[in-house]
Amino acid sequence: MTLRISRREALRGLAAAGAGALTASSAHALDPDSRVGIAVLEHGSGYDARPGAVEELLWETTKRTSILVRKRPIGVKATDPALFTLPVLLWLGNGDAPPLDTAEVNLLGRWVRAGGLLLIDDASPEGADAFDAVVRRELPRLLPGRPLARLSNDHTVYRSFFLLERPFGRIDRSRALEGIDLDDRTAVLYSRNDLFGAFGRDPGGGWRLPVVPGGDGQREMALRTGINVLMYATCLSYKRDQVHVTEILRRRKWRVDDGGSVR
Amino acid sequence: METSTAAGTDVTRWVLLSDWSIGTLTLVVGLCLAVVALAVWNARALSRRRRVALLTLRVLTVLVLLGVFLQPGRRTENVSRVRNHVVVLVDDSRSMGLPGEGASTRLDDVKAAVAAQSGTRDRWSPDHVVDFFAVSERIRPVVNLDEVQARGDASRLLVGLSEVGQRYAADTLAAVLVYTDGADNGALGAAVARGDAQGAVVRDTVARLGVPIHAFFTGPESPPKDVAIANVRFDEFAFVHNAVSIEAEITVTGGESAALPVTLRRDDVVLARRVLQTRDGETRYPFVFEFVPDKTGKSVFTLDVGVLEGEPIVENNRRQFVIRVIRDKIRALQVVGRPSWDERFLRQLLKRNPNVDLISFFILRTPTNLMLVPSDELSLIPFPTQELFEAQLGSFDVIIFQNFTSRGYDMDQYLPLIRDFVRNGGGFVMIGGDVSFASGGYAGTPIEEFLPVDLPRDRAPSALIDTAAFKPQLTEAGRHHPITRLSLERAENEALWAGLPGLTGANLVAGVKPGATVLLEHPDLQAGGRPAPVVVAGGLGEGRVLAVTTDTTWRWDLGPAADGGDNRHYYRFFGNAIRWLIKDPALEPVRVQADRDRYPQGVEATFQVRVLGADYLPANGAQVRLEVERRTYADAAAGAPDGVGETRTEVLLQQPGETNEQGELVVRWLPPGDGAYAVRVRTVLAGLEVSDDDVFVVSADPVEMRQIEARRDTLEALASLSGGRVHALRDPWANVERRAPRVSRVNRRTDEPLWSGGLLLLIAVLLPTLEWTLRRRWGLS
Repeated sequence: MTLRISRREALRGLAAAGAGALTASSAHALDPDSRVGIAVLEHGSGYDARPGAVEELLWETTKRTSILVRKRPIGVKATDPALFTLPVLLWLGNGDAPPLDTAEVNLLGRWVRAGGLLLIDDASPEGADAFDAVVRRELPRLLPGRPLARLSNDHTVYRSFFLLERPFGRIDRSRALEGIDLDDRTAVLYSRNDLFGAFGRDPGGGWRLPVVPGGDGQREMALRTGINVLMYATCLSYKRDQVHVTEILRRRKWRVDDGGSVR
Repeated sequence: METSTAAGTDVTRWVLLSDWSIGTLTLVVGLCLAVVALAVWNARALSRRRRVALLTLRVLTVLVLLGVFLQPGRRTENVSRVRNHVVVLVDDSRSMGLPGEGASTRLDDVKAAVAAQSGTRDRWSPDHVVDFFAVSERIRPVVNLDEVQARGDASRLLVGLSEVGQRYAADTLAAVLVYTDGADNGALGAAVARGDAQGAVVRDTVARLGVPIHAFFTGPESPPKDVAIANVRFDEFAFVHNAVSIEAEITVTGGESAALPVTLRRDDVVLARRVLQTRDGETRYPFVFEFVPDKTGKSVFTLDVGVLEGEPIVENNRRQFVIRVIRDKIRALQVVGRPSWDERFLRQLLKRNPNVDLISFFILRTPTNLMLVPSDELSLIPFPTQELFEAQLGSFDVIIFQNFTSRGYDMDQYLPLIRDFVRNGGGFVMIGGDVSFASGGYAGTPIEEFLPVDLPRDRAPSALIDTAAFKPQLTEAGRHHPITRLSLERAENEALWAGLPGLTGANLVAGVKPGATVLLEHPDLQAGGRPAPVVVAGGLGEGRVLAVTTDTTWRWDLGPAADGGDNRHYYRFFGNAIRWLIKDPALEPVRVQADRDRYPQGVEATFQVRVLGADYLPANGAQVRLEVERRTYADAAAGAPDGVGETRTEVLLQQPGETNEQGELVVRWLPPGDGAYAVRVRTVLAGLEVSDDDVFVVSADPVEMRQIEARRDTLEALASLSGGRVHALRDPWANVERRAPRVSRVNRRTDEPLWSGGLLLLIAVLLPTLEWTLRRRWGLS
């Protein structure tokens, strides 16, 4: 996919960036801890393999959208009750991991069913499937009877902010996200494209890892995928309503004349 | 009811007195035939004269002997009869009070015609008892026909005939005579109107009676001058903001061409005016009215049509009826300044509520965000402010401003409209956040006019919020208020609130407006010299307003699961809030209800009053004042030139009262006449006057006067199916077919035998002697 940004739009964006930075930094949230953020599950190997990636995604989110973010991730164990103040949990991994114990399964399962969104990112290199095996082993224990399934192309996550045809990441291993639906929402999202591998920066400001095969264009699309995931986490099916708002109004004949006058 | 005549009646008839069995009779008759046949065979060679003479004598001999054998006789019986009943039904519905053939009424004509049949009635007395009934909605025995008056509210002849069938056994009826103008507005009239006059309904009723029905038609041959609202079709329940249809059929008879105003009102508001242009040869004019109710509740609808000059009946030019407008779903508009966890959980709650139709609009990007992406790669659409806050504003029941700023989006021009929306009965919620309340620039705006809190001014942005964690405290009012009632049991309710997760951060306010009710308050912060409000309820005009000065109530959704709980209390809290905002009647502190929507004239109305105290429990001993007023709308019939005149209200009842232990009071009252009525009850709760009202209609003319034309055709099927006829009003009763009475008893019986007389014996001897003599003389053996 190619980016189509005109010079005028770029200049306007840069101008807005300054104002946006000012606005974001001066916003006075009632509870900074309640800002939209990402908690990271400390389990198995590789959960810390993408340093700075969560921060980068959150920074991009606050620059491009109206969401106020909690700038840094919070590491949590699967038995930490603090989970119930954190609606999004990132499970990042790049290899084998021990099975979750019963207490962890119980608490994580309860948290997901209560409203949490579990975002899983497979950060292993192409050809390595150990983490994938762990995910497919543990999810049935968390949500028995709820199979992991490929999300359809018209899932709200592909249109929650940017219009995407498919998910992107540092690599291009899968052309679809997988997920588990609970009632009226998708409670588990699973990316096999090393989504967060595309975000991390080194101390000098450069990108830590190359994005293959698409380079910077693919990195931009990965950022859009990440922002869409956060937007889905906060707005759920809102975009599915939004595109139909006029039709909803018209279909329901919500007509009002002053005084209920006869037409 | 059965009676016998004191003296019986003698009945004489021929009988056979013998007691032979049928076998014996057959044998004897066969023998006789054989004797005759043998005589014929033997006489075949004789001359014609001799053959005739001999055969005549043989046949006569056989007949005489057969007569002796059969013993014929004459039997005279003295019998008693049970008189059966001729039932005379006289229509006493209100149309019978209209002019008949001349100046007198149809009913007066009937009385005169029946009186003229007194002679026939006397002649029938040995066989028939004549019973009189008046018939309108039901039958009613009549002793003196002169006392019958045309007051019935409907003509239902089939109902009357069915009741006759129930009252009399099938074999005790002789005939049914019906005196009527045929203006039936029950099943018979309906069957005739739909061309099914001989259908099952009519046929079954006639068959059950089993006697001839004779209809005596009264009324003018030509229809009277009349404009009538013959029929109105509507649903008694309608949904707010959804189109409602009212279909009416107006009949015009007997007048010349005219243009008549037709007016439809809801309470005292004119909804539609039309003109009915009458045309020669047409009597029925359909009208369809459609409107969109914009509020819930009961309303009296009045349909009026103009009056022809000289029209004798004007009552049927108006119909009043009650339609109850209800809510199909609660239409909620959720406007959010930026995506957040608070928005996410509240949206999910609203979407999951089956009673809520939710329209959400979230600001996903502001002008300050980077715009490096072409718009066609974004799913964003412009904020439809004009559509939401102007064109469609009135279609919402509740508007939720969740951390939504007043700045930008041209909101300045829409804020006054939102204030009017609330004043006119809309619900409004403001939920906190970094761009809400004073931080959203609402101080001094039309929104602040109806917020239940005063907003601080001239403070630095950082001084408009507090970021500390806290546990909101239930106020005394909050312990009883329906919004904060998580449990009906007070101690449990308090325990549930105490067990909810704590919150963090609050929008600071300057104070609480007078009349507002603080339900949850901050344990540490002060506002206007009292604890700062966290959840506070208020209102403006007809509308209700709720303010929630924090954006972390979402923790009541996700948080309880940490300890194995669930989000039911979060759902209960906002569910209660929505119901309170839309004024769910079940949560209203005072209610009054009439036991009917429409009362016939002369029927007592019962008003049930229920009062809840400040604790939302039944208020024992609450002092209430009940008022009933009648609203009269001047229309064409009342002389208003274009069909619309002024509304006049007269208070007919003012009655104080006190509720019982159940918080209830029952008042009974007899409305004085037709019209649209409103009953209102007022009481004072916590220093504030609260009231409720209900409406009803009193109408003496539900159906009868909608169709006053005398209808001979209505009676034709009835009569022909039963074997009766339709007669002219003054036709004599002597001509009507009727069933004879049945015999019940033989008092005396006398038999007079013919065979035992001497003459018959002599003939029996002479005939064979004569035959023998002739045979001897003619030389026959």
